[in-house]
Amino acid sequence: MHDGIVTDGLTRLFPGGVGLADLSLEVASGEVLALLGPNGAGKTTTVRLLNGVLRPDRGHARVLGLDPATHGDELRRRTGVLTEHAGLDDRLTARENLHYAARIRGITGPAVEARIGELLDRFGMGERADQPVRGASTGQRKRLGLARSLLHDPEVLFLDEPTSGLDPTATRDVVELIGSLATEHGRTIVLATHFLGEAGRLADRMAVLDRGELVAYGRPADLADDLWDGLEAEVDLGARATTEQLDVVAAVAGVHTVEPSPAGAVLRVAGRDVLPHVVARLVGAGAPVYAAVPRPPTLEDVYFEIEARRAASAGLPPAPDPRGVPT
Amino acid sequence: MRTDWTAVWGVVAKDLRAVVRSKSVVIPMLAVPVLLMVFLPGAIGLAARAAPGVQVERLLGDVPGDLARPILDLPVEEQLIVLVNGYLLAPLFLIVPLMVSAVLAADAFAGEKERKTLESLLHSSIRDRDLFLAKFLSAFLPALAVSWFGFLAFVVVANGVAWPVMGRIFVPTRLWGVMILWVAPAVATLGLAVMVRVSARTHTAQEANQLGGAVILPLIFLAVGQSTGLLLVTLPIAVGIGAVIWAVALLLLRGGVKRFTRDALVAQV
Ligand SMILES: Nc1ncnc2c1ncn2[C@@H]1O[C@H](COP(=O)(O)OP(=O)(O)O)[C@@H](O)[C@H]1O
Ligand SMILES: [Mg+2]
Repeated sequence: MHDGIVTDGLTRLFPGGVGLADLSLEVASGEVLALLGPNGAGKTTTVRLLNGVLRPDRGHARVLGLDPATHGDELRRRTGVLTEHAGLDDRLTARENLHYAARIRGITGPAVEARIGELLDRFGMGERADQPVRGASTGQRKRLGLARSLLHDPEVLFLDEPTSGLDPTATRDVVELIGSLATEHGRTIVLATHFLGEAGRLADRMAVLDRGELVAYGRPADLADDLWDGLEAEVDLGARATTEQLDVVAAVAGVHTVEPSPAGAVLRVAGRDVLPHVVARLVGAGAPVYAAVPRPPTLEDVYFEIEARRAASAGLPPAPDPRGVPT
Repeated sequence: MRTDWTAVWGVVAKDLRAVVRSKSVVIPMLAVPVLLMVFLPGAIGLAARAAPGVQVERLLGDVPGDLARPILDLPVEEQLIVLVNGYLLAPLFLIVPLMVSAVLAADAFAGEKERKTLESLLHSSIRDRDLFLAKFLSAFLPALAVSWFGFLAFVVVANGVAWPVMGRIFVPTRLWGVMILWVAPAVATLGLAVMVRVSARTHTAQEANQLGGAVILPLIFLAVGQSTGLLLVTLPIAVGIGAVIWAVALLLLRGGVKRFTRDALVAQV
């Protein structure tokens, strides 16, 4: 039995159009999946389908071995969700909001108080625990929402836009908290976001959605391998590389391309082991080499490359449908 | 499937605690009962004391003799008090359970959407049925509590103020008993059921109140018009009206329960 997430052809249509079309993917237990895509891509719809809040029109899913469409109540006892609007009651205090959530989940008794206090402290809400949520900042709300999603120690965590509306400091705090949640006892996390930086730091796998369609899915490194030959690297020469220096680099075996950059040159090489040769030649030619480092593509690079290639191919006749449906 | 009462009472307790903190909800909800159940009977009692022997006979001219008899048989100084506090106020009193349950139901159902708390609630482990039950109780129980406490206040004020004239306890009458125990819960359920249906189509509690008012107010006018046409609601009529209201309310409510699924609710978010 698979205790992560598996979906097969998961589809949900809305009167206005497609919410999610034919999503098939697999996330192992303990992995972090980044669901990426612009607004309206289908990220929230995916989270709702996976937690059994929406029912699919076609296809199915298994989360923790349960079908969300038929065993939603059972599943939701083992999942935690931070929705885009944290969904806290403004009229209650932070602590009361957590108490409320705990009671709904049947968590009662003397241990609750301690558990809530611990979560409030951990998420930096200890000091305003007994003030109404009304005056809380977006960052505080998100942290409180995160704390609430963890009350029952869920095995799967769905985070829908956890950093939207946050300033840089609050974003960093929340991303760090999520990072710590991911490493805690093999918890599976689905992180829906249109901010790529946080996803890059946290995700084991990425799924790029666009208008309900899955346009790319896999580990960022694997996707990068498919997108590009070799590895990007940067050589720091203290200043833009001269034409002679560029020629020296281009002549090294295993260097595919080389272009000047403000600090020196950016090159694409067959692999890491080409770099020492590049450095040796440059030093031999009298160039000062301050650094030569591989620059593996970030999730952000991968995402934009995918988007760029899709945009470029949009002008061309559409690619043949992989399912072989005649058009 | 057993009801998860911990979750149900959790939602009810949260709703009540939150509502009590919203002055804009609480004040009108208490003002109307105070007006109807304290000021009005008090004023009538005082008026009867100040001007004993107001001609009630003319008012009751159109009423069939046997209906008016219980009042006209009373000493003349008691007639106004008994007519108003014993009979006329009874149908008017139904505004209390209707209003309280409708306002609270709008807050409980449409309010969750307005405050953007519905989605996280739907992602929690509470079952659809239990959530509906909780929301029902969040509106129904306070409506009944306010009605019953309001009625107690009414009994104290009506008897107290009229004591010098009446010299005895004259309310509750049996008609009041039927109103309080049979018709008021029916009316509370009706107000609630209408709001459940209306809340599915609106995004804020205020919109729900407006749309709900548009549905409920004609019902009130119809009821008031009918009862003043009769002038005196008699016991069998009150029992019958209660039964009809219960039937309509439960029918509406059943439809509301059927549509109350996560999938339908989240599509409205
Ligand atoms: N309840 C709904 N009713 C109608 N259309 C919806 C509903 N929910 C989502 N959609 C549509 O489905 C698409 C995907 O939406 P969503 O999953 O919210 O995207 P994202 O979370 O990636 O921004 C959008 O075109 C949106 O308009
Ligand atoms: Mg979204």
